[in-house]
Amino acid sequence: MRSRSAWNTVGVALFVVMAFPVFWMVSTAFKADDQINSITPTWFPLHPTLSHFRAALARPYFWTDVKNSLIVVLATVLIATAVAFLAAVALAKYRFTGRGAFIVLMIGIQMLPGAGLIIPLYVVLARYHQVNALSGVIITYLTFALPFCVYTLRGFILGIPKDLEEAAMVDGSTRFGAFAKILLPLVAPGLVATAVFTFVTSWNEYIFARTLLNDQSKQTITVWLSYFLGTGRQTDWGALMAASTLTSIPVVVFFLLVQKRIAFGLTAGAVRG
Amino acid sequence: MVVLGAILGYPIYNLIRLSLQQYGLFELLQHHGVPVGLRNFSSILHDQIFWHTLVRTIVFTVVNVGLTMSVGMLIALLLTRVSAWVRILLAAGLVLVWSMPPVVAVQIWQWMTNSQNGIVNYVLTELHVGNYFQHDWYVTPFSQLALVTTLVVWGALPFVTITLYAALSQVPRELTEAAEIDGAVAWRVFRDVTVPVIKPALLILTSLSILWDFGIFTQPFLLIGQGHIIPANYLMGIYLYEEGYVKTEFGRGAAISILMLVIVAAMSVVYVRRMLKIGAET
Repeated sequence: MRSRSAWNTVGVALFVVMAFPVFWMVSTAFKADDQINSITPTWFPLHPTLSHFRAALARPYFWTDVKNSLIVVLATVLIATAVAFLAAVALAKYRFTGRGAFIVLMIGIQMLPGAGLIIPLYVVLARYHQVNALSGVIITYLTFALPFCVYTLRGFILGIPKDLEEAAMVDGSTRFGAFAKILLPLVAPGLVATAVFTFVTSWNEYIFARTLLNDQSKQTITVWLSYFLGTGRQTDWGALMAASTLTSIPVVVFFLLVQKRIAFGLTAGAVRG
Repeated sequence: MVVLGAILGYPIYNLIRLSLQQYGLFELLQHHGVPVGLRNFSSILHDQIFWHTLVRTIVFTVVNVGLTMSVGMLIALLLTRVSAWVRILLAAGLVLVWSMPPVVAVQIWQWMTNSQNGIVNYVLTELHVGNYFQHDWYVTPFSQLALVTTLVVWGALPFVTITLYAALSQVPRELTEAAEIDGAVAWRVFRDVTVPVIKPALLILTSLSILWDFGIFTQPFLLIGQGHIIPANYLMGIYLYEEGYVKTEFGRGAAISILMLVIVAAMSVVYVRRMLKIGAET
């Protein structure tokens, strides 16, 4: 069919255009300096070098800031999934006063432009001496991660037939037993999805880390990367691209792991309507 | 539950309270502000820069959302027409782009568009689009924001495209085939059969894109570069940052946040209503 092959050509061309920036980052990271700085570009690094990666890793504070990012991200993921799970169960299973208001509040937080919350959070955190501390950033990320996690997990829990849980309880299981044996395995995919979502957004987050952490030894990896260009005349593009590649690796890995589930989870809400 | 409510509600409560106070560096050290009523709001509404920034941001949002949605729709339609291997290739490319952290994307963009030997200038010159040898993209606010637009649209396309593609796959085949047999042209089939089915997805994606693009900060802030941020290229997120955080006028900053929230809520009223409805029903 002629039209099909025409569409295929368009599709491949589009792939090239979309993926090119990512390719260009990786390709530059492996190229020698004279290839990077020449006016005529070298498309493929035929003689790949690791020198830029070495240069990036040797930069001051790289490992410190990676460690900071890991601490913040892991703490956020653990607390967010645990608290969100309990909150989602409460929201889905029990009626309590203020439930409607609570849902509205969650949606409200999600709607706020990220930049809009810097000010109140900064002031509140300053009051409790949490500015320039990783704990302050963790609290901040929780305010963002929790609404999404609660909302997503609630959807998963609502999808579980109530009969299942009741059947387990009739069979002599305690409420907790029913919870652990029936509910937990069924919401596991939801937990994985929210954990990954929280991981990716906290790892990528920039503006709050930037405003809340002033000390170079306390910054996260995205802030570290944003200062990379610095004020120097001659930009070390090779090292910058190597550092960018390293920063995106954890996210790419997680995305590839759960790509299908995320796409599904996001579309489930959008299409159902 | 109470703890959770406090975590979520406290910042918003503080936001409203701060907006009615004078709260600068001195008050920050004292830990309490001076109530000034609505003065923060009136001073912002009398600020020329606010109105210019607002208009610029609305234009920016309309262009970005328009491009994201229309190009996303075209790619999603393309995905339904190509062979399986091209579809997998393209989807893999989209997921790869999706997974790029925004800060990383900004660095790549800066490298591709640098005036010395950026690949964009090279390709444009080689394709005889014009002479872009050592063309500097960071001179006028228009070209700065145009660069931000390409970066934002590029980064937003994967999510929009994949969601729209999933929605398109829900359109019953019999419907479109029946319309085609009845002699409807492709455009009519799309408008009268496909669009109504995927309308919920379209509405939510558009509203979400408005929310994200209106309050955008990281991409313009880093791509234009802190040293080159001037009132002529402000977007609302940056205006808020400069007025509230950099000048340490937290009360004014809080008032700007609230104004932004009201404007963005008005712009994406569909999404809000829909979410409230879902929230109320279940």
